[in-house]
Amino acid sequence: MNSKSVKFLTEPLSGSNPVIVQILGICSSLAVTVQLKPAIVMGLSVMVVTAFANLVMSLLRKGVPQRIRIIVQLVVIATLVILVDQILQAFVYDVSKQLSVYVGLIITNCIVMGRVEAFALGNRPWDSFLDGVGNGAGYALILVIIAFFRELLGSGALLGYRVIPESWYIANGGCYANCGIMLFPPMALIIVGCIIWFHRSKNPSLQEK
Amino acid sequence: MAKYICNVCGYVHEGTSAPAECPVCKAPSTEFAKKGIDVNNNGYIVTYSVIMVVIVAVLLALASLSLKSRQNANRLNEKKQQIVLALGEDPTKTPYESVISQSLVLDKDGVAKQGVSEDDVFASMNDLKTTFLQGQFPIFKSNDGCVVIPLIGVGLWDKIWGYIALAPDMNTIKGIVLDHKGETPGLGAEIATAKHQAQYVGKQIFNDAEFVSVVLVKGGANKNSQNYIHEVDAITGGTKTSNGVSDMIKDCLSYYVSFLKANMPKQEETVNPENVVSNEQ
Repeated sequence: MNSKSVKFLTEPLSGSNPVIVQILGICSSLAVTVQLKPAIVMGLSVMVVTAFANLVMSLLRKGVPQRIRIIVQLVVIATLVILVDQILQAFVYDVSKQLSVYVGLIITNCIVMGRVEAFALGNRPWDSFLDGVGNGAGYALILVIIAFFRELLGSGALLGYRVIPESWYIANGGCYANCGIMLFPPMALIIVGCIIWFHRSKNPSLQEK
Repeated sequence: MAKYICNVCGYVHEGTSAPAECPVCKAPSTEFAKKGIDVNNNGYIVTYSVIMVVIVAVLLALASLSLKSRQNANRLNEKKQQIVLALGEDPTKTPYESVISQSLVLDKDGVAKQGVSEDDVFASMNDLKTTFLQGQFPIFKSNDGCVVIPLIGVGLWDKIWGYIALAPDMNTIKGIVLDHKGETPGLGAEIATAKHQAQYVGKQIFNDAEFVSVVLVKGGANKNSQNYIHEVDAITGGTKTSNGVSDMIKDCLSYYVSFLKANMPKQEETVNPENVVSNEQ
């Protein structure tokens, strides 16, 4: 892999991250980040869908009629999302129940459409595929960071395993209580804000004048 | 007829071969390139769409067919787990088979139908509403004499469902599992939480011999009311969903009343005042 390909993969992780730099896909990152496990599965699902949507659209890019290209993109993305949903239902049923409508909503995830429209229609299939993987990973990374804080502070656990000992809780004679607001979507928005703050302070080139 | 485009000035020539000379800029025929399919032609767009739709349809149909059996097994397993959960057991430790001894389908008089396999009982629960309308009422009996009854109803946005377990006296609720498809998270969706479901335990559905069900009371069940034993707290901000749950429990249990009455232990066996008195002495 040459350095250009590596850049397609790594650039969306930080410098052009879809969530914290382009501010895309915020809605689902608020909804599925109460716990780490659904966040990871959602991140992987979006990664698969962006990668293959980019690949397929890039292969089709010369034959797609300009006038119906958005519809073609939607059909390709919707097909991939339905496939992902079916596979989740067959192999990780409890996670698919937890994600419920949000898997279906990958179709409307701005990141997928954005990458297809902005990148795949003008680039070669392999580059587009890597770009899709990179952007999906950038999204998944932010999701995992948000979910880490929300699950740890909101329910005192990680991936369902208890991290903060039971004996610390007020109910058991300790002096600790879970931060209930972490379980609500607005808190995810605040965490996204904090991540953006931290990220921009480390990357002066991203700061607006 | 093929189209030839002049690379110098963009003139388009229609014919079987490139012209000897461009009529506009006089470029030689070597400057002409054969034009490929016009991707913005209406005929092309229609053909493209049709082929795309057919390919996608075949692909999705194949995926659906090949994964169906696995998905159905998952759904069946979930039903079994919820039945165990309704009985207050942990489905990861206590498998369905070790708890439930019998699965039956009753008719409207509360008599069990003969020759009904477990698969038929679960199949009848795929569309429970229709099954109820057809006069078939699935029920599960546990080893210790409890019964589990499936519930189906309508919440605020979409369907709600669950399982209610009754103790051997056919009156006291042993446990309940409620689930929903699309109730509001944080409000109506709270019916699916263990905290809400724990309230039902110990409540009674009969007042003497009269079927009264349990009701979700807006503003909270009143401890001083004589109906407290038939009441649980409604969900704050989820009144429509709470009403849906009340209606669901009442409607679904009402189909089973004759069966429950027939299976109630005799009155003398449960209450024996003389024994109580002798114990106190």
